[in-house]
Amino acid sequence: MEAIDIGLIVSGGLLLFVFLGMRVAFAAALAGFVGLTWIFWNKFGYDPSKFMKALTISVKTAGQIPHAKVSNQALSLIPTFILIGYLAYYAGLTKALFEAAKRWAGWMPGGMAVATVFATAGFSAVSGASVATSAVFARIAIPEMQAMGYNKRFAAGVVAAAGTLASLIPPSAILVIYAIIVEQDVGKLLLAGFVPGAFSAIVYVSLIVGMAMIWPSYGPKITGYSWREKFASLPPAFPIFFVVGIIIFFIYNPFGGDPWGTPTEGGALGAFVVFLMAMFKGMRWPQLKDALLETAKLSAMIFTIIWGVLIYVRFLGFAQLPSAFADWISGLEQSPMLTLVLILLAYAVLGMFMDAIGMLLLTLPVVYPAVMALNGGEMVSAAESAFGMSGPMCAIWFGILVVKMAEFCLITPPIGLNCFVVAGVRDDLTVQDVFRGVMPFFFADAATIGLLLAFPWIVLWLPSLA
Amino acid sequence: MAGNAAVLEDGSTLSRLDRGLEKIEIRLALVSGLAVFGLMLLAVLSVGGRNLINKPVPGYVDWIELAMPLIAFMGVSYTQRLGGHIRMDILIGKLKGRLLWTAELISVLVMLILVFFLIWGSWAHFARSFDWAAPLWSRDSTIDIRLPLWPAKLLAPIAFGVLACRLALQVWAYSRAIVTGAQNPIAVPLPLSAAELAAEEARHVSALDEETR
Repeated sequence: MEAIDIGLIVSGGLLLFVFLGMRVAFAAALAGFVGLTWIFWNKFGYDPSKFMKALTISVKTAGQIPHAKVSNQALSLIPTFILIGYLAYYAGLTKALFEAAKRWAGWMPGGMAVATVFATAGFSAVSGASVATSAVFARIAIPEMQAMGYNKRFAAGVVAAAGTLASLIPPSAILVIYAIIVEQDVGKLLLAGFVPGAFSAIVYVSLIVGMAMIWPSYGPKITGYSWREKFASLPPAFPIFFVVGIIIFFIYNPFGGDPWGTPTEGGALGAFVVFLMAMFKGMRWPQLKDALLETAKLSAMIFTIIWGVLIYVRFLGFAQLPSAFADWISGLEQSPMLTLVLILLAYAVLGMFMDAIGMLLLTLPVVYPAVMALNGGEMVSAAESAFGMSGPMCAIWFGILVVKMAEFCLITPPIGLNCFVVAGVRDDLTVQDVFRGVMPFFFADAATIGLLLAFPWIVLWLPSLA
Repeated sequence: MAGNAAVLEDGSTLSRLDRGLEKIEIRLALVSGLAVFGLMLLAVLSVGGRNLINKPVPGYVDWIELAMPLIAFMGVSYTQRLGGHIRMDILIGKLKGRLLWTAELISVLVMLILVFFLIWGSWAHFARSFDWAAPLWSRDSTIDIRLPLWPAKLLAPIAFGVLACRLALQVWAYSRAIVTGAQNPIAVPLPLSAAELAAEEARHVSALDEETR
């Protein structure tokens, strides 16, 4: 049997197991392990006396991957970002941000909703998790908006949609995972998320202002804050600016000269400041222990799926499936852009049923080489490429696109998780209410993705400076 | 989807074993969390040392390399107990009662067999680097300050060993649930619907918020 046939059969089995509800990390590791054994035994001509030998090689190949792959300096960013997120709750940053955003952005039509988007964008900087961000702001922003007579569905939609900003604005754990899997520069990817994240926030704000101007009952503006009050609201929110600033400066120095350090150090420094702030706000060992346990749990989940998938990736290499898929994709008789759009649409469908991290890790080992091939190869120059950008730049662009796509799925019916979370927090809102409220943002996101596709420089100019 | 799940308890042997193992799992997970915290402090020292007194922490990268397996592996069983490893629950979420427990039983049995092979493989990886006769018992070391690698490599089979105990307990618990036909069996994470999951997440976040007020 050809190796590629084994690759196809085992990958089919993996999808079946995942669909049947096996833990993704272990299903992937299992597929990799079974596939390796099969491929080695196939090489030995299915000689029964050599089965143990094939099994032993496969066990030893698979068994070294967990340790070998997690001992990576860049990966230490993931637990650091997670820790920042948990500490941020104790540092009282959510309320501080909302208060500051309200005083500074409230004068716009739909001011409270605009403030929510800005506060969420800011909080995204310390939280890599969209769902948690929506949950927090559903509690603090929706009641205030309703008290001011905001339309209930509109308020809920704003919070659900704004939560999705978390995974683009640095620090984003999901972008680190993407960079590791596709073996690209982590710093550049983190940097690349900044402009599209801010861009998405601005698109949301424009939409809110527009809607509030057409239907004034949706959201009145808030006025009357003095400059003194405005500036007084800034210091409590300071750690946020510090975290974003420090991470950017540790990757790329806008004033010229060397970056101040590595992204790993930048993340750790950010975490330390948020930690000090949390201590100042009264966090003690019981709360810290809780935060550390939650960090451990989420880290274990992410790392398990990383090494599990990498065992499967090792097998895929032997089966030569990614290169076959890449050949097929780049040989299609249609424009590369159309193919890329179709791939992104496939992610939109998949994202309705699957967690973003699991979806990206499972599919990227096969899809990423295909997209690279579509552009003309890993090392292609911008002039000779299909999308008009060099191989590494295409890797960054595609990463931002798929992550934005995965976030888009968080507000897509039927199981857009952010909408469920918002409805879960508020007793007076049904899931249908939230889905209806989020609808305009759904179209705004679709437009954003279209723009990122049509004008890749939105994504690429910042990382191209670094 | 990932998420917190409820694990019920009672006075039976199974539940006592579950709670006993949980104590170990919590300690290991805490080690993992403390390792994250330690890395954070180390980075602050490293940046501070380099810029303030012009003296970087020696072997900063080596220590990260040794600490990463602590972070990556030590919480794996704790996460499994709470049902925190992600999965697609669109199909399994529709099942109920004995059918659901049978599906879960097959899933954890297959995982248990896989983990057995992983213990074997990761132990072999450790054994290649460990040598009673070598200095620091080590055949290989990190690149800068030459820390031995075997302690980090040993963490994988240890963590997988604890995970195997957890999976064996879950095999027992699901089998028992199939026999008794219990609706809410003990010692296993009970699946939550998307709405319950959301409420749980919100409750957790709100609790944090209340505490900090």
